[in-house]
Amino acid sequence: MIRRLRIAALGAALASAAVAVLPDAASAHGLVGRQDLPIPRWLFAWGAAVVLVISFVALAVLWPKPRLEEAAEHRVLRVPAFLEPICGVIGVVAFAGMVYAGYAGTQTATANIEPTIIYVLFWIGLPFASAVFGDVFAPFNPWRATARFVSWVAGRVAGDKLPAPMAYPAWLGRWPAAAGILAFAWVELVYVNRDDPSILATLALLYAATQLIGMSVYGIATWTHRADAFAVYFNLFSKLAPLHWRDRTLYRRLLLSGAPHLDVMPGTVALLCTMIGTTSFDGFSQGQLWTGTNAIAPTLQQRFINLGFSQENALEITFTIGLLFMVCFVGGIYRLGIAGMGSIGGRHQPGELAQKFAHSLIPIALAYVVAHYFSLLAYQGQAMASLISDPLGDGSDLFGSAASTIDYNVISATGIWYVQVAALVLGHAAGLTLAHDRALTVYRRVRDATRSQYWMLAVMVGFTSLGLWLLSASAQ
Amino acid sequence: MSTPETPPNAGGDDPGRGLSGVQRTGVVLGALAVLLIVFVVLRGGNDDGDSSSSSNAQTTATQSTSTSTATGETGSTSTATSTPTTTSTATSTPAEPAVRTINVVNGQPEGGIKTISYDKGDQVRLKVSSDVADEIHVHGYDLMKDVEKGGSVQFSFTANIEGRFEIELENAGTQIANLEVDPA
Repeated sequence: MIRRLRIAALGAALASAAVAVLPDAASAHGLVGRQDLPIPRWLFAWGAAVVLVISFVALAVLWPKPRLEEAAEHRVLRVPAFLEPICGVIGVVAFAGMVYAGYAGTQTATANIEPTIIYVLFWIGLPFASAVFGDVFAPFNPWRATARFVSWVAGRVAGDKLPAPMAYPAWLGRWPAAAGILAFAWVELVYVNRDDPSILATLALLYAATQLIGMSVYGIATWTHRADAFAVYFNLFSKLAPLHWRDRTLYRRLLLSGAPHLDVMPGTVALLCTMIGTTSFDGFSQGQLWTGTNAIAPTLQQRFINLGFSQENALEITFTIGLLFMVCFVGGIYRLGIAGMGSIGGRHQPGELAQKFAHSLIPIALAYVVAHYFSLLAYQGQAMASLISDPLGDGSDLFGSAASTIDYNVISATGIWYVQVAALVLGHAAGLTLAHDRALTVYRRVRDATRSQYWMLAVMVGFTSLGLWLLSASAQ
Repeated sequence: MSTPETPPNAGGDDPGRGLSGVQRTGVVLGALAVLLIVFVVLRGGNDDGDSSSSSNAQTTATQSTSTSTATGETGSTSTATSTPTTTSTATSTPAEPAVRTINVVNGQPEGGIKTISYDKGDQVRLKVSSDVADEIHVHGYDLMKDVEKGGSVQFSFTANIEGRFEIELENAGTQIANLEVDPA
C-alpha cells in the first residue's frame, strides 16, 4: 500500500515537474540527443521470469485445436468509393510537401519537418497505427495512388490496348521488400548523412520512382503486395490488428487472427528477420559492447582506417558489418529452431517449416519496434506540433504552434521501462500462441505438435531474452 | 486427423489435455498472482538497494536543501542561464554536490565520452573547459552556452528530466559527454 502511495506521489511530482519545465525548454531538439535509460537489473530479471512462466503456462493451457486459423470476421462498415481518390490525393500532397520541405527548408535536421516525418511519423508511427487500426497506409500510399491515377488515365486514353503487366517471378517473392527495409535501416542507422533533409528528399524520390517502375512492369496490386518495402512492412503489422480493411469494407476480427493468413513466399522470412535484426542493431549499437573504449566498433573502425579508408567511410563499413551480422544472427536463431522442429514427426522439410511459422515472428518484430522506438514516438512525435507550424524552419508560424516544445516528462523513465518490458512479454506470448496454433494444423498428431513447440518456445525465449538484454546490459 | 493422442510423458504437457476451462483460468490466474508478487518484491528490494549503492549517495544528504530551493523557484532551469554559481558553501562543506568538469582538448573530450549520472531532483553542477570556441548544448534540457577558446562555462540546474542526454559541441557536432538522470 505504501508503495502504491509512493507511486502516486511520484506521478503527481512528475506532473507538476512537467508543468514547471514546459515553458523553459528552448528549441525542439530531440531527433538525436536522447536515449532511454537501460532497464534496471531487477526489471530485467522479472521480465525474464515472466517469459518463462508464460511459456510453461502456455504449454499447459493452450488449446488442442486451432482457433486463430479459421477465426471469423464481422463486417463493421463500408466506406464510400469517393473516399479512395481523396485519400490518395492526401497521400501524394503530403509526400510532395515533405520532399519540398527537404529541399527548400533549413538543412538543420530538427528544425525541418522532413526528417521527423520520415523517421518518426512514417517509420514508427505507422507500424503502431497499423497494428491497431489495420493497414491504414494503403489508401494513402502516394506512389500507389499516383500509379492508379496514371493507369486510370491511360485506360481512358488507350482503351483496352494497354499491355498486360508481366508475370511477377515467383522466386523474387518478397525479396525486394526485404532489400528495401534493409536499405532504409542502413540509411537510418549507418549512413553519415542520415538526417540531411535534402539527401533524404532525393532518396524518397528515388524510392518512389523505383516503385512506379515496378508497378508499371508487374502491375500495381502485385508489386504493392510483394515488393513495395513500406507497403509490405506496414501490411505485416496490420495482420495483428483487430480491424481489417478489404474492398473498402472494414471488418473486425479476433486479435492476431489475421497473421495466419500471411501468404508466405520467398523472402518473407528474410524480411521478418531483417525487421527484427535491424531494430536489434539499433539497440546494440548504442551499448558499451559496441561503442565503448576498445569495444567492437572502434577496433573495427581503426582497422579499416589502417586499410586506407577515411574515418567516415571506416565508420560506415563497421556499422554495415554490425547491421548485417545482427540480421544474420536473428535469422540464425530462427533457422536453428526450425531445424530442431524438422527433426520431429519426420515428415516436414525445414524450408517448408520456416515458411509455415514465419507469421509467428510478426508480433516479435512489433514488440521490438515498440520497445526500441516507443519513447522516440512519445517525445519526438511532440515536435510535430511546432514543425507543422514552421515546416521549413524559416521562422513562420502557420498554425500558431511554432513555439511549442517537447515535454520530456510526459512519461517517466520508469513508465518507459514498463512499456518496453510489457511489449516484449506480450510479443512473446503472441508469437507463442500463433506458433502453437499453426503447429496444430501442420502436425497430424497433437503430440508431435506439442513437441515441435518446445523448439519454437526456445526460439521465442531466445528473441525475448535478446530483446530484454538489448534494453538492459548492452546500454550500460 | 483430430483423434486426441495420448499425451507424451513430458511433465509440463501432461495436465494440459485434461484441463477444464475453470482449471485453465485457475492456472493463468495463479501464474499472474505469482508474477505480481515477485514484481512487488523485486521492486521493493531494488528501492532499498538502489539508494544505498548509488554513486550519488553523498548527494542525498543535501538533496533536501537543493530541492527546496528548486521548488521555491519553480522555473528551475532559469537558474542555469542567469546565475552560474548559486551557493557559497560549496568550498567549505564536502557534502555539497561537486562540480563535474568536462575538459575538451583538441575539440575532443579528454578521456573519451563519459557518462555523468544524477538522480532526478539532484542539482547538476557542470563545468566545461574547452580549447576550442563553440557552443555547448545539453540536449533534452536544451541549455546552450557559448564557450570561448581556452575558456570555460558552468551549468547549474535541477535534474528534473529522466533519461540519457548528449552534451555536445553544437557547431562541431561532437559529443563530449552523456548526462544521465535516473529516477530518484
